[in-house]
Amino acid sequence: MDKKRIQKDVVIVGAGMAGLTAAIYAGRANRKVLVLENSLVGGQIANTAGIENYPGFLSVAGGDLMGVVQQQAEKYGATVDEFDNIERLELTSQPKLVETESAIYEAKAVILASGMNRRKLPLPEAPRYDDKGIHYCELCDGHLYQNKIIAVAGGGNAAIDAAYYLTKYAKKLYVIHRSQLRADKTSVDRLLEKPNVEILLETDIVGLEGEGHLERVRIHDKATGEDRTIPVDGIFVNIGVIPNTELFKNQITLGPTGRIESGEDCRTNIPGVFAAGDIREKEIRQLTTAASDGTTAGIHADEFIQSLSRKESV
Amino acid sequence: MVKVYSITQCPWCDKVKKYLKSKGVEYEEHNIENSEEDLAECKRISGDTIVPVTTVNGKDYVVSFDKAKLDALLGL
Repeated sequence: MDKKRIQKDVVIVGAGMAGLTAAIYAGRANRKVLVLENSLVGGQIANTAGIENYPGFLSVAGGDLMGVVQQQAEKYGATVDEFDNIERLELTSQPKLVETESAIYEAKAVILASGMNRRKLPLPEAPRYDDKGIHYCELCDGHLYQNKIIAVAGGGNAAIDAAYYLTKYAKKLYVIHRSQLRADKTSVDRLLEKPNVEILLETDIVGLEGEGHLERVRIHDKATGEDRTIPVDGIFVNIGVIPNTELFKNQITLGPTGRIESGEDCRTNIPGVFAAGDIREKEIRQLTTAASDGTTAGIHADEFIQSLSRKESV
Repeated sequence: MVKVYSITQCPWCDKVKKYLKSKGVEYEEHNIENSEEDLAECKRISGDTIVPVTTVNGKDYVVSFDKAKLDALLGL
């Protein structure tokens, strides 16, 4: 059966902070807005227990914050659909086409805000321990390790915040990072106030061991050259992210890090297609800059649609 | 009756529950953090305590959010 074709002013790919903020702005401009999300509404932030650097909140759970942002977007008429997965994008045509499992959307403008996915632990045996000792969601899986030994791989803010969250379960918690910590000092100091936390820097994870479930981790101390094996029941991996460009990477210009090339105006090389949030090449990728991008992209998408109307009326 | 085994803070549990609601499927939520009995039952069904676990009969189940598997399990 042919899929139904539905007209929208703006289709937004991704319901993280950038996408939902764009939906608020485009919605308030009276545009018909659809936000599609193939994973979690809220994006990476949905997995974050406590956000302390978003203005207006001393501390807020990611899911709670994004729930409110979704409500704001919906208040201004946007539809947020997290169950109808996108299968194909055609960005160079006008209107642009966004094909999902159930429909083909014809959009005057598209905002790409598909964000990032967590990088997997790059060890050949790692897939064997997926959900059996290797995890990528502290909120979802931390409870599995009550009074057990937990390691967090990574040294950025996400890793240190994850480690802090997991201290409530762990009898011993390692942070293992290949170089020096990049997390901000406030987060690191807070973690170090917890007992039983040990930070192993300049250390590579070189092997995973265990019958059925992870039991031990082999590590290599790059400073001393020492190899050793430590007992670990679960590793939470926070070693960076990879841009989620699979659906459109062959249609749009990507930059040196694989993200979408665009200026501060969020315009891409394709007229009517905008990039917002972590998916865009830029120096600072924070929740606040994602909201800023969403604002810019939402406003420019509205202006682009206005320009189409002016052309049609000439 | 459809049962969803979950924990309090769990975005994938929330997504499963939202999906069931969107499809008009009634379900019982069993929080394994609040009940030893539910924890044991979740472990009996799936062999683990990874959540969410969705089941219709205590035997066939789906772990996490997998729309195709949930549709098959629930006959959607």
